[in-house]
Amino acid sequence: MSKKIPWVEKYRPRRLSEVVNQEEAKKALLDWINSWEKGKPSRKAVMLVGPPGIGKTTLAYALANERGGYEVLELNASDVRTGERIRQVIGSSMKMGSLFGFKGRIILFDEVDGLNVREDRGGLAAIVELIRESTWPIIMTANNPWDPPKFRELRDEAEVIQLKPPLGEEDILTILRRICNAEGIKCEEDALKLIAVASGGDVRAAINDLQAAAEGKRVLTRDDVTVTERAHQFDMFKILDKVFHARRFEDARSVTFLPSFDWESYYPPWVLDNIPSVYAKSIEAVSEALDNLSLSDVVKGRIAKTQEWELMPYMLELMTVGVALVRNKPPLARFVRLTFPERIRLLAKTKEMRQMRDALINRLRTELHVSSSEVSLYYMPLLRLMATSDTFKKKLLERLTRIMGGYSLESVEKTLGGVGVSASGEGEGGAQRKSSKRSGG
Amino acid sequence: MSIAELIWVEKYRPSRIDDIIDQEEVKERIKQFLKMGNMPPHMLFYGPPGTGKTTMALAIARELYGDAWRENTLELNASDERGITTIRERVKEFARTAPMGKAPYKLIILDEADNMTSDAQQALRRMMEMYANVTRFILIANYVSRIIDPIQSRCAMFRFSPLPRDAVLGRLREIASREGVKVTDEALEAVWDISQGDMRKAINTLQAAAATAKEITPEVIYKTVGYIEPKDIVDLINTAFSGDFINARDKLRTLMYEHGVSGTEILRVIQRQIMSGAINVPDEAKVEIAEVAADIDYRLTEGSDEEIQLSAFLARLMLIGKKYGLGTSKEAKAPAKKR
Repeated sequence: MSKKIPWVEKYRPRRLSEVVNQEEAKKALLDWINSWEKGKPSRKAVMLVGPPGIGKTTLAYALANERGGYEVLELNASDVRTGERIRQVIGSSMKMGSLFGFKGRIILFDEVDGLNVREDRGGLAAIVELIRESTWPIIMTANNPWDPPKFRELRDEAEVIQLKPPLGEEDILTILRRICNAEGIKCEEDALKLIAVASGGDVRAAINDLQAAAEGKRVLTRDDVTVTERAHQFDMFKILDKVFHARRFEDARSVTFLPSFDWESYYPPWVLDNIPSVYAKSIEAVSEALDNLSLSDVVKGRIAKTQEWELMPYMLELMTVGVALVRNKPPLARFVRLTFPERIRLLAKTKEMRQMRDALINRLRTELHVSSSEVSLYYMPLLRLMATSDTFKKKLLERLTRIMGGYSLESVEKTLGGVGVSASGEGEGGAQRKSSKRSGG
Repeated sequence: MSIAELIWVEKYRPSRIDDIIDQEEVKERIKQFLKMGNMPPHMLFYGPPGTGKTTMALAIARELYGDAWRENTLELNASDERGITTIRERVKEFARTAPMGKAPYKLIILDEADNMTSDAQQALRRMMEMYANVTRFILIANYVSRIIDPIQSRCAMFRFSPLPRDAVLGRLREIASREGVKVTDEALEAVWDISQGDMRKAINTLQAAAATAKEITPEVIYKTVGYIEPKDIVDLINTAFSGDFINARDKLRTLMYEHGVSGTEILRVIQRQIMSGAINVPDEAKVEIAEVAADIDYRLTEGSDEEIQLSAFLARLMLIGKKYGLGTSKEAKAPAKKR
């Protein structure tokens, strides 16, 4: 068929109508550009806010393509954005007429929160100034505009448009089906579902997986699909099983020679999560295995700092043999139950909340003249308590929503409470009771 | 409009030197100093938490620069700056421009200076000399013994002592009446019981109580202490002692990933809670725990994964708990804890 071009690019939405799942953002963008076309811009700039890979840049370009097309002038994080340079690039073009008979220009500041205070000195001020002077519509994108606080100024200049969280399975399925049709491939629904689930909401990943499995085929079946993450998990289960059942030094160490043994980022959290449940019957074994894992981590830290790669064998042996051959090792069933590391799930689930929370902590530590640990240990619990109190609740939430502008009251409350209100305290009644049991999620 | 205005500690933080409660001797000496001449020496404030060190430093800034105090003051917290290099850079940047107002120097307030390693303090000492003609440092510490001698000898030292009972209670009454909160004398006694001479803790306790009830009685106070004590951490320790590792690990993760507390901080608070007697632990066990905690503290700084290190620590606590039969009594939460 066609040349090998990544489907992610090939099927990137060119028009707003092709963008899935962001109806509110699309409407806000259209209203805004209409107001420009009528000659009375509601705001000079908009700021598109949302996590990476959600399609902020795609939306900006899709808007530009609408109705005859705008020319897009883009500056992103990789450009050096000193105030002077921004003025040079954009400032001069602002005065020039339109080039190719386009309707006009849209200026796109991609990833404004990537502005580095030191290197891009004056960049922020320059953008603010440009927004005020601009005769063209300006779109900014940002992952997390709440931090650092200095972004406030920028936020205040723009209409903040919050994008919806990552796509759900259904949305991704819709996109995958559309691509299959366009490529003329018959795709089994099960196959697409598998890809969609494994993608965890990342469209880019899903499309890449689809291309890898389906390109050049007429029919795609479930068996054609081997999703990378699944493969990874499968190998990791095998590796752990071998380590936990090992009785001799060599057996345990042998896993380190496997090509899929990832000592750097995968193996440690996996083994960390499974030691306590696999060795549950012997706390001595749990303790010794964790102690050896902890020592391997120290060696790892040392290698990272000093590049002494000759230390590597110690690290590998401690994290495998040190876990396998422990005193008082309890007898294990032939098949031990292994679980996916909770940390990875927890971190992914709470990402946005953590960003907002960190921004809040950062702000509070300046206002209260204390360290951030003191804020998170002493003042966040106090705020949580205040948020349940008639006396303080209203004022507190009012201020919080103002500071975290653009987010809903609900997500602000969530930030305060941790995910699903933290273990430490929801409301009056629970204060004295033993904190209710809570599984990690 | 800020959140801090809702937090009583901040709302009622005295802004003038004369308004600071107690610490008469310190106040007199500082006023003399400020009168003295163009360039007073650097200052080192030390003493337990909640005795007015940071408040004093901020009041001095206001005294020196009036409304322009923010522009002329650099506030740093050693525990939040990533190492001495970032501190150096921020100081350098700050010292580049001339001070505004009547004082011929700018002010740098470095809080929690005793959390810096001695190497970092050496670098700090050089910085204090390098910018001596344009800046003055106010260093703040809990433990003066953790500040290296060369810095001590370059500073005028001010010792802040725990506030007397009457001063704390008087202030609490004043705040309660300004906030329209009803509080009984017995309740105030209960606050004192918990806070002793730590004003910040006293005020936070009062506010936490005010958030739970309209009328504050001793019962309300004791009920709410949990919120301003690191209750999550006490729970964590007890769960580990009781041998329930999986549950302890869940609590650890909540603290680390949901509340954003760093591993080092968790370790240190655990250590503090156990050593201060907030949890009932026999002395022999304390010695063992101190040894393990010191070891893990070292591994945390050397290693790369905080959760691994803290998990290893919890497992050791579990062993020690088993050895000494700790954490078995589920009702270890008797309200009338003294500290």
